[in-house]
Amino acid sequence: MATPVIELRDVSTVYEGERVPAIREINLSIELGEFVAIIGPNGAGKTTLLETINGLLPYTRGQVLVLGQDVARFGPQLRSQIGYVPQEFQFDETTPVLVRDVVLMGRYGQIGLLRRPSTEDRTRVQEALELLGLAELAERPIGKLSGGQQQKVLLARALAKEPKILLLDEPFSHLDFAARDEVAELIARWHRERGLTTLIVLHDLEAIPSHCHRVVLLDGGRIRQDGARERVVQAFTLAYGK
Amino acid sequence: MYGLPWSLIVTLVGGAALTGAACGLLGTFVVRLRLSSLGFTMSHAAFAGAALGLALGIEPLTLALIASVLTAAVLGPVAERAKLPADVITGVLFPLTMALGLIFLYLAPGTAMSSSALGLLWGSLLAMTHTDFLWLMGLTGAIVLTIGLFFKEFQALLFDRKLAEESGIPTRPFYYLILFLTGATIALALRLVGGLLVFVLLQSPAATAFQFLYDLKKIFFWAALLGVSYAGVGIALSFAFDLPIGSAIVLVSTVGFGLAVWRSPKRRR
Repeated sequence: MATPVIELRDVSTVYEGERVPAIREINLSIELGEFVAIIGPNGAGKTTLLETINGLLPYTRGQVLVLGQDVARFGPQLRSQIGYVPQEFQFDETTPVLVRDVVLMGRYGQIGLLRRPSTEDRTRVQEALELLGLAELAERPIGKLSGGQQQKVLLARALAKEPKILLLDEPFSHLDFAARDEVAELIARWHRERGLTTLIVLHDLEAIPSHCHRVVLLDGGRIRQDGARERVVQAFTLAYGK
Repeated sequence: MYGLPWSLIVTLVGGAALTGAACGLLGTFVVRLRLSSLGFTMSHAAFAGAALGLALGIEPLTLALIASVLTAAVLGPVAERAKLPADVITGVLFPLTMALGLIFLYLAPGTAMSSSALGLLWGSLLAMTHTDFLWLMGLTGAIVLTIGLFFKEFQALLFDRKLAEESGIPTRPFYYLILFLTGATIALALRLVGGLLVFVLLQSPAATAFQFLYDLKKIFFWAALLGVSYAGVGIALSFAFDLPIGSAIVLVSTVGFGLAVWRSPKRRR
């Protein structure tokens, strides 16, 4: 059996200064190439789960292995191979960074210390910008863009990294319906063509992409269901309504 | 210039320019990372340290440097994790560091209101020595080199610390490097601007540059240049009207920043 790309063994994460774990006793194994949706009510621990996987939040119990390595030890190296689009972001109008630089920054971890971005890095950035229809906005300050455009920039940033794993936290939350379908299609294509392993957090069950066959239901910080899409979505609807 | 020898003039003017440039460069981090409270507290800790040096007969800048960097080392983690609101840190520690500084000055033998003591409070160009000038040159060079070598890491950190971590940059060493350099800059700027007002040079030039620019490289450049200009014009005013140097620099900086806010394209709808 192949080594899982992501493996959580009995993992709990407690926020600093709190006693109750935001996620607890999580056991989860995700294979190469899987596309997994994480659903659950507000406060279920969905974002905490993603940020525990990429090591932005230190876990307090158990073990998290990503690409076979412990995220607690190799966090920065592993994060340079993981594309992450956070749910929460807010760039005020005065933020002194241009859109092109925001996307390029996604590759800084891979480029490494004391090295400058190469032509190859800039080419990948341009490709990602064009893919998301942002090429014309490349020289604009990030803070001057709408919420939806900023969310697309963060997605471009994650894709420009050419990651092995994609973690998407409510990636459609600031997008209108037309843009949502377009971006969902783009994510599906990248996942398929690049052989990525993708986790997507969603609160809207209808937004679960059609090619996603595995769904994990999280509630109270615990995994309540993990399995075929239809079964888990049905369980969620029964428990919480739509 | 007032019959001073050229070597002294170079030391004084060069020292003032280097102080302005170093403060402008570091100020870019202080403004963007919202380290104002920490910088404010560090500057007054440096004043207390220098006053203790005066009282004990030890080189004031050495103790100013130790006090400033120690404050950064203690308060850095507190500010980093936002365990305490910034205004609480300032509210408690500003009076404490000022009180300690004044007690040390009071205890300094025969110097209660000497020029050295007053210089610590509101700055004195003539107190700047050739050694200070060399230290400032070394520090400014180190700051420029550090920013040049790690520009992309600092750019990511100044954009968004969480996203910088996400891209694989370990931000903590860079955050503490900024605090250390800020502490050192404050201690060395104490001669020129004085302990009461040194913080203004860490805030105003960079805050002025931020009013007009979105490109970080340009912001660093203009913050340094504005720091030099504010210090230079302040010194000229000080000589022309016989004002304390620190106060004159504060007046110039405040006017400069006020004009920038008024004319800032970032604030137009």
